[in-house]
Amino acid sequence: MRNRLVLLFLAVLAGVAVVAGASARPTATPPLTIYAGASLTEAFKTLDPAQNYSFGGSNALETQIRNGAPVDVFASAAPLNTQRLFSAGLVEKPVTFTANRLALIVPKSNPAGIQSVYDLRSKPVKLVVAAPAVPVGGYTLTVLRKMGLSSVLGKIVSRESDVKAVTGKVALGQADAGFVYVTDARAVSDQVTVVRIPAWAQPRVRYEVAVVTRSTNKVAARAWIKVLLGTKGQTALRNAGFLPIPKSTS
Amino acid sequence: MPPGDLVSALGTAAARDALVVTAETNAISMMLILLVGTPAAYWVATRETRLRDVVVTFVELPLVLPPAVAGIGLLAAFGRLGLLGGSIEALGIDIAFTQTAVVLAVTFVASPFYLRTAVAAFESIDPTLPAAARTLGAGPARVFLRVALPLASAGLGAGAALAFARGLGEFGATIMFAGSLQGTTQTLSLAIYEQFDLDFDVALAISAVLVVISGTVLLSVKLLTRWRSASPSLIPFAPSTRTST
Repeated sequence: MRNRLVLLFLAVLAGVAVVAGASARPTATPPLTIYAGASLTEAFKTLDPAQNYSFGGSNALETQIRNGAPVDVFASAAPLNTQRLFSAGLVEKPVTFTANRLALIVPKSNPAGIQSVYDLRSKPVKLVVAAPAVPVGGYTLTVLRKMGLSSVLGKIVSRESDVKAVTGKVALGQADAGFVYVTDARAVSDQVTVVRIPAWAQPRVRYEVAVVTRSTNKVAARAWIKVLLGTKGQTALRNAGFLPIPKSTS
Repeated sequence: MPPGDLVSALGTAAARDALVVTAETNAISMMLILLVGTPAAYWVATRETRLRDVVVTFVELPLVLPPAVAGIGLLAAFGRLGLLGGSIEALGIDIAFTQTAVVLAVTFVASPFYLRTAVAAFESIDPTLPAAARTLGAGPARVFLRVALPLASAGLGAGAALAFARGLGEFGATIMFAGSLQGTTQTLSLAIYEQFDLDFDVALAISAVLVVISGTVLLSVKLLTRWRSASPSLIPFAPSTRTST
């Protein structure tokens, strides 16, 4: 009995060694570590599944880079986060690579009966938004201010840490409505209904990408950004619902 | 960072609100855990049924579950589209994004810490003592209240302290199930997470408070256990424990 157990143990050990050996084989190009705003999840994974991604609120990712996270590329949903890191010398010069719009989403069952953004004012509604420091949270405040709906702020029941958390709470039916990017709404289109936000109330949502200064793989990082700005990258972004690079980038 | 700045960081609205939310929700959770958990633990400890193992496993499950799984579980059960959520909402009770949701999350993850210790405490009571009380004419309720509870009190206290500490730190299930809104559902742990990006000093100050509270809780558990191992000498007719020292 004991011998058999020892044999079994050795067999498992050998198996582990084989697997470990296989994964330790040097690959032609080691994957880049890319930090990206949560809204880029679907687009980036479709564009290039081979890299290591960490998606989250751009503000949280900025904090992690400040604290020395070993990152090669940072793609932010707001220029603020990349520009702050740039002035601190933590990333190289950021470039704009895409744009986006906001949408209000409600669960398919639409328990609060929201047909337009203005319904948020008149109907009892559990509204979920992102925290103000998260890019989409800031953009949401802009939309509400432009539409004269600041009173709606009182109906917020949760301030989430990134846009996917907002999307999830609405898709799950926990919340009655939430402000997200149109691209996030598209990713869960079978669970939510999109309520359009008029063009005149849309904030300027501009995404920036930059090579992180302490990256040990800057050549590959720059090449990856080049692909993102090229036809392949732009097509993938367009397919996910993102807008082309705005002409007048301030 | 000077301690004075830490104290003033605690004065920010975010920190104060989080402290109040945490105090309220944890107080209610602890009350629920103690009021329901104590008789339940006694019931489990004094019965030798096959059901017992099932009950104990079920109760201990949150102890080993990742908090994220606890969050998903609570959503699946009490979410608005969950198994029970619909019928609860029909009763006019709305759990989503309220302090009730925080209380549920905290109770779910913290209760096993109390129940486990409480069952062990009740089981370690010399069975001859309740039996003697019964022969002297005490009813089951009186045995529970006047014999079992005092004898197990040190263990119950230690369990309560552990459950309290776990509830205080609850994060994953709360953020998934209750969301995060300052003054309503944002507990100390959630506030640390949010302030980490906004104002590191506030995050640091709240963390320092939690370190102090956790340290106090651990210390009180230590003291309770010491008091418990010393206490059997107070009961001269408890032969199974008197031999220690």
